[in-house]
Amino acid sequence: MKNRKILIAAILVFLVSVCLSVFILRHSDKQIIEIVQDGELLYTFDLNDAEDRVIRISAPDGGYNLVQIQNGTICISEADCPDQTCVNTGVLKSDYLPIVCLPHKLIVRFAEEES
Amino acid sequence: MNIRRLTELALLSSVALIIFVIELRIPNPFPIPGVKLGLANIVTVCAVFRYRPSETAMIVTVRLLLGAMFSGNPSALLYSAAGAVACLCGMLLLRRILPEQQIWLCSVIGAMLHNVGQITAAVIMMQSFGVIAYLPILLVTGSLAGAFTGLCAQLVLHRIKR
Repeated sequence: MKNRKILIAAILVFLVSVCLSVFILRHSDKQIIEIVQDGELLYTFDLNDAEDRVIRISAPDGGYNLVQIQNGTICISEADCPDQTCVNTGVLKSDYLPIVCLPHKLIVRFAEEES
Repeated sequence: MNIRRLTELALLSSVALIIFVIELRIPNPFPIPGVKLGLANIVTVCAVFRYRPSETAMIVTVRLLLGAMFSGNPSALLYSAAGAVACLCGMLLLRRILPEQQIWLCSVIGAMLHNVGQITAAVIMMQSFGVIAYLPILLVTGSLAGAFTGLCAQLVLHRIKR
């Protein structure tokens, strides 16, 4: 009987996480991008109006990230950090999963909309 | 602990380490940090069901420390250690309840606890709750991977017994 309860609990957790994952991975409908480094807002712009370009952002430790804007999408195309997580994250899509480069304390995310 | 026991544990640790290193070579199709198969946990699950808790803990500790060195990513050690501790505690408790046929379930719950531990460590490290957004995704992928590794462990244990 106890086994069954554990099984049901596991299935419940799994289903709830599936629902939450779908919610979290949903594409954002926001357009305003914020680029933040170490708590300081560096850039903010509307992704729809932004022209295609590459922004080079230098980190305090001498490293850099290249933020690429192309056809209304944004991603980090190159970085000299050791883990490359920010590059592998790819294009920014979700409200909840910003592009983060931990070694350079850089965050690219959708801004909260002003009411 | 006699020599035979010691040798078995050492052998299992090295098997786990080899699987871990080989898995590093497999490219990850998911761009989300923390998502992986965790094949080395086949050994952990086997050990949970075959050895004493203290012996299992030894295998896992050795694999964690050497794995962090071999992967050249010691900063990930903190997260994996937090996950492993949570996972191990849960699985050792579940071992008393679950029968042999449900080893896979034990592994699934172990994987979930592993992810919870990881995210908890990340929240404490980064002092922000933003990383919790990764938890549901990790839970889904983690329990699928956990079911797979658990089934492997179940098959292995079944064969060792005979």
